[in-house]
Amino acid sequence: MTPALVMQVALGGLLMGLIYALVAAGLSLIFGLMDVVNFAHGELLMLAMYATFFIHRGFGLDPIVQLPIIALLLFGMGVVIYHGLIARALSVRFNRGMVQIFSTFGLAIFLRGAAQFAFGGDFRAINHSWLAGRTLRLATLSLPLPQLAAGLVCLLAFAALMAISRTEFGRALEATREDREAVALIGIDRDRIFALGWGLGCATVGCAGAMLAGFYYVSPDVGANFALIAYVTVALGGFGSLLGALVAGLIIGEVEALTALFLEPSLKQVGMFAIYLAVLLFRPRGLFGTL
Amino acid sequence: MIGLSRPVFAAFLAGAWLLLGSAAFAAEDIVIGAVFPLTGNGSQVGLDAKAAIETEAEIINGHHDIPMLLGQGGGLPALGGAHVRLIFADSQNDPQKARAEAERLITQDHVVAIIGSYTSATAVTISQVAERYQIPYMSSDNSSPSLSQRGLQWFFRTSPQDEMFTQAMFDFFKEIGTKTGRPVHSVALIYEDSIFGSDSSRVQKKDAEAAGIKVAADIRYRANSPSLSTEVERLRAADADVLMPSSYTSDAILLLRAMQEIGYHPKALLAQDAGFVQEGFFQAVGSLAEGVMSRSAFALDATRSRPAITPVNALFHARSGKDLNDLTSRELTALQVLADAINRAGTATNEALRKALIATDIKGADTIMPWRGVHFDASGQNTEATPVIQQVIGGHYRTIFPDDVATSEPVWNVGK
Repeated sequence: MTPALVMQVALGGLLMGLIYALVAAGLSLIFGLMDVVNFAHGELLMLAMYATFFIHRGFGLDPIVQLPIIALLLFGMGVVIYHGLIARALSVRFNRGMVQIFSTFGLAIFLRGAAQFAFGGDFRAINHSWLAGRTLRLATLSLPLPQLAAGLVCLLAFAALMAISRTEFGRALEATREDREAVALIGIDRDRIFALGWGLGCATVGCAGAMLAGFYYVSPDVGANFALIAYVTVALGGFGSLLGALVAGLIIGEVEALTALFLEPSLKQVGMFAIYLAVLLFRPRGLFGTL
Repeated sequence: MIGLSRPVFAAFLAGAWLLLGSAAFAAEDIVIGAVFPLTGNGSQVGLDAKAAIETEAEIINGHHDIPMLLGQGGGLPALGGAHVRLIFADSQNDPQKARAEAERLITQDHVVAIIGSYTSATAVTISQVAERYQIPYMSSDNSSPSLSQRGLQWFFRTSPQDEMFTQAMFDFFKEIGTKTGRPVHSVALIYEDSIFGSDSSRVQKKDAEAAGIKVAADIRYRANSPSLSTEVERLRAADADVLMPSSYTSDAILLLRAMQEIGYHPKALLAQDAGFVQEGFFQAVGSLAEGVMSRSAFALDATRSRPAITPVNALFHARSGKDLNDLTSRELTALQVLADAINRAGTATNEALRKALIATDIKGADTIMPWRGVHFDASGQNTEATPVIQQVIGGHYRTIFPDDVATSEPVWNVGK
């Protein structure tokens, strides 16, 4: 086991960790805002990836160019999902928690089934894009450009989310989160804030999907591979904390890569869940959680 | 019945029996169940399997006059032209759901046999249910050797299993080493962590040892992981002559892409089939697949010795838009073998069917497969299923081993 190998694997873990963080960011945002765990998060990622794939096939637009288009598309989708489903689920009086869980879970199953119906079960992938197959070589290290670009987009997205949280809208989000009843008294439209929050959360996962589609395969089940990790990332980083999602994503990416290198590759999720359990035991609200 | 004279009553009974009997006889379809993953991960394989088995049913029931066993059509001759009717069930690639679906097919749909099931993990549970209800389980495409080593009485596998497949791989290494003077000194194994990968690698390790070939890396990875880049780094560090993966489609795609990303190009790659022969794999990796070798139970290019391939493939293509591959050809053949046994039994009762299956003796030329034939041993394994080795040359799999069915010369970079 040479130092170069360890460096390379650690770097790979870092890049994967950024992707995990970006997927988790949207989940964390929505949860922090309104206490709703979106079980259809992986399926939204899947839809973003399909959209990228088909736009690329139809119009030849590179995934990077598509980034704003997909983000906007998913933003709209998030708003629609909020108004069509979540707002109704929030308005029930009886067993609200369960209703939220089942409605997003049902949405997940529906979206997955619809994708299989519409697109078939075959695996698809974008083979020719600007970055596909290109690798940056630094001494002994090789950095695949698609992953590198995805990592950069992730950092930019986090920067944008942090910037948004400092604007007036961001403060309104924060206030709504603190006390959803009281904000109505000072003229903040709670429904609008929630819808925008969903839009923003989905747009984030849209960015992740557009970048992932550049180097990953697309299938109706692809979201499940990432969703589980996203839930762990959010819980590890602390519900509702953006910084937490970023740090936790990086930790999980590293733990996964290093477990696969030093122990058994088949155990890589064990390392990840071991850390999660440790956090649950000693710091149940997560690393950066305030709730 | 008072007032009815005895002869009249007897005649009435006889008439009723004849009427009912003949009516039932003409209409009686042979109902066969099939369990495959029709949704979820692996669904495309299941949908292709459905098209393949339906194609064979169409050949048996219809009138296509294809030069193979039961290819003349018109139903099963020994059962008065009875048609084969299929009922498909969705395992969702989950052993527990597969178990429940198999049970439903047997108890509610009264199927006479079950064909399945792509993944070996689901075959474990389906075959257990079939054993309990004493109906045959026809394993069309499960390749784990352990499946036929459990002492089951109702398990029949037409396809080669991984021991036979792996033996063919090492026979190929030996032959090409002698032929080119550049033998294989080391192999690297990478395999997914379910029964398919574990069984496959176990046999590969045993055969490598017997052949005096070093196993330079032995990597068991988690199926459907988001990334395989660490695993590929370890493979590159091992730098073996031949990389031997056992993976399903999604992982096969990730593996080849991760290899390209870090610039690792193994001298040779010989896959244990599965993901590496899927249409989706070729679409997703494009030209990266060039030079990849795989074992196979089927040779689409062997049309000279198996004239039925062309018309059968045309029927399948009309249904699915695809050519027959290693899996679909075996699924189709499993129904052919089962239907032949039902026909020879002359009935679909379970004991008679089992006896007929045990007595199966089909010549390879009567099927579309490049095998010597179909003949089951005491464990239910077809001992005549002789595999081939193929290589992607010019974007398509060409048969390169054994010599008698080979259509192309292998591209062999080991030792260069």
